[in-house]
Amino acid sequence: MGFDVLTNSLIDVLSSGSAIFVLVGVALGLCFGVIPGLGGTTALALLIPVTFSMESLDAMYLAGGVMGATSFGGSITAILINTPGTAPNAATTFDGYPLAQQGKAGLAIGASATASAMGGLIGLFTLLVFIPIAKEVVLAFGPAEFFLLTILGLTAIAVSARGKLLRGLIAGGIGLMFAFVGLDGITGQERFTVASNYLWDGIPLVPTLTGMFAISQMIELALKGGVVAAEGDGLSRRISGIGSGIAAVFRHWTVLLRGSAIGTIIGAIPGLGGTVAAFIAYTATVQASRKPESFGKGNIVGVIAPESANNAKDGGSLIPTVAFGIPGSAETAVFLGILVLHGIDPGPSILLNNEREIYGLIVALTLSAVGASIIGLLTARWLVLITFVNVHILVPVVVAVSLTGVYVLEGKPYDVILCLIMGILGYIMIRFDYPRLTLVIALVLGETCERSYHLTMMISDNHMLQFILGRPAATILLVATVVTLCLPFARKVLERQRSRA
Amino acid sequence: MTNAWMRTGLLAAVLAAVAVPAAAEWPNDKPITIVIPYSPGGGFDTIVRAFAPTLEKVLGAEVVPENIPGAGGTKGAATVHRSEPDGYTIGIYNIPGFTVNQVLGKDMGFDLDEVTWIANLATSRYAVAVKADSEINSLDDLCSLGREAKMSDTGSSSTASVTTRISFALIDCPLTDVAGYEGSNDAMIAVMRGEVDGTVKPISSLKKYVESGDLKIIATYTQKDVLDGVSSTGSLGHADLAKFDLRRIIGGPPGMSPEIVEKLSQAFIEAANSPEVQEWAAGAGIELEPVGADEASAMMSDLSDFYSQYKDTLAAN
Repeated sequence: MGFDVLTNSLIDVLSSGSAIFVLVGVALGLCFGVIPGLGGTTALALLIPVTFSMESLDAMYLAGGVMGATSFGGSITAILINTPGTAPNAATTFDGYPLAQQGKAGLAIGASATASAMGGLIGLFTLLVFIPIAKEVVLAFGPAEFFLLTILGLTAIAVSARGKLLRGLIAGGIGLMFAFVGLDGITGQERFTVASNYLWDGIPLVPTLTGMFAISQMIELALKGGVVAAEGDGLSRRISGIGSGIAAVFRHWTVLLRGSAIGTIIGAIPGLGGTVAAFIAYTATVQASRKPESFGKGNIVGVIAPESANNAKDGGSLIPTVAFGIPGSAETAVFLGILVLHGIDPGPSILLNNEREIYGLIVALTLSAVGASIIGLLTARWLVLITFVNVHILVPVVVAVSLTGVYVLEGKPYDVILCLIMGILGYIMIRFDYPRLTLVIALVLGETCERSYHLTMMISDNHMLQFILGRPAATILLVATVVTLCLPFARKVLERQRSRA
Repeated sequence: MTNAWMRTGLLAAVLAAVAVPAAAEWPNDKPITIVIPYSPGGGFDTIVRAFAPTLEKVLGAEVVPENIPGAGGTKGAATVHRSEPDGYTIGIYNIPGFTVNQVLGKDMGFDLDEVTWIANLATSRYAVAVKADSEINSLDDLCSLGREAKMSDTGSSSTASVTTRISFALIDCPLTDVAGYEGSNDAMIAVMRGEVDGTVKPISSLKKYVESGDLKIIATYTQKDVLDGVSSTGSLGHADLAKFDLRRIIGGPPGMSPEIVEKLSQAFIEAANSPEVQEWAAGAGIELEPVGADEASAMMSDLSDFYSQYKDTLAAN
């Protein structure tokens, strides 16, 4: 039944002039994605007033176009200048940037574009399959499952920090401490707000991410000088590899599927989002690999996993939306806000009452995921030239644009100051070889982790373990966490036995 | 000498030319800004944006909604408080959230008692809901489970949590307030998952889930029965419970001139009664209840007295 409506919606878009809204959305999404500090949420938030005078369906097309395109846009800067354009692209820098440094940026962008499009399509397909049982899916995930998912995410930090376990844990610990700043989610008490009401809502994510990834990287580049692509003279290499990048995605289809599955699941959990999805997809891929030591040095698989996950999460984040009219991500929250502005009250009957809008959004997301990647592939050969721009030109531009982006989001000067502080902290972390993403992941997970822990304790009358074992989804997550923790040790033991034999 | 006099005279003339028409010509000098202390897309944002076009027509002036989020809504309110009381900057307030903060002596960056109240736009009443297939059918059932009733809520400083804790204390109902859900939707879904027994939420929010067959309402916090087959707390003999509600109220900086307040107040009421806003409210499930400046001010001091009685319950987080 869902597919009939879907085909009708698709015909609607293509036959009316409304396709232009999708196209405009894609163009905007790509731009906001490419520019560090600006992301999908910012783009949508800025668009809200514009959509007020539009038909609700056209507003959905525009929103869908933006949502589907930002995460691919962000991978471009992640690969080319080691600066994720949006937070969910942070994990893409691990292997994307080394590839660009080796002059293989074309390969990385080709893979990223294809993985983004395929991941997006898989996520949306999963959504369509799950629509009839969306309510049951959402009801299966309560505070206990959220808590275990955050623990699983925090465990992945330890796993990701190969050979740098202590540093990874220190960075994660700092991230958790940052997460505790602000009003306590349970009691409303102020914590570490240093008597400033700026910090009441906690350390804001966008300025932190922009500082950690964009500003710090610009400091690093500025001090180093030269150009990004150290190897190869550019002119001979810049075009090559796009085709093999596309092919690589299909050759590593298991990585694609795993990344998309992780993205869809994490996307459905409110409060976690694409950054966590991409990070877990990356670490899961490293863990499953037979050559884990090849990651971080330009393994193409390390680009495919996070990029498929951060696009698949859009489909996943719509599962709570079709089930109960509640957001699964920051972007869907803004999207529901647009519906409210059009006099539509999102609720559990959203799919019955607003079928056109929901399917319109899904169609727009589909077109956008594919469209953005095609545009990306067509322009890749010119985009790659960025890596040959002298950093003395590159750095001021990126710094100015990303600080403006941080300011535009909420209009708070303190956000800019925080972003700069985080930039310096990030640079120190680069210099002393501490993983920055670990800190950020802990910051994102900290609040949900704490909140759902308290809730689980309260609803289980302080018998947490019994409560968890009584819920199938929670039990699976508990097992997955234990396996994640034990796997590296088990491997070591196996290797030792093998070398003895 | 003459020169100096002339200059002073000229200055005075210029000042007069600038100052006098400014006061006389309100609201035509510049756009009227309505500060929304939360991000776009929420309940406070939506109602202001729904009113804005009709307000423009009624006032014949430009109306600009501006979002100043942060610090639990107090940043935007404090910004309004510091503005010139010239009728060009007003805002929407989270009541009784701010009233509770004030009673507890939390520093909000402004004094709620000094706000010039202009109009109340809408009032939402609360109700108690449980899972649709639950065996609990009344407040009595909920309070005689043989254990504490678990009620889901957002953070314990939220209005709904405050309402739950005070009202359950008033009717002597044993309670575990499971506070900490991220939003009111999450709190309602927690009831459907069955991890809590029920929740206290505005009727308009609950209705959606009642219509979809997921929840049922067992009592409304109103004086008289408002829903078919559901007892009101008034009819159950708990008169005070009807005082808990949620307001969308407009106010401005201290010291606004009464004429401007009156004009604004009339404009808001006219807008609330316009077909456009009425139609929007019906679609969005908003209970419009427009009242003017005097009633709004009286309402605010009533609320302040009401919550002050329960200072101890509020402080015990």
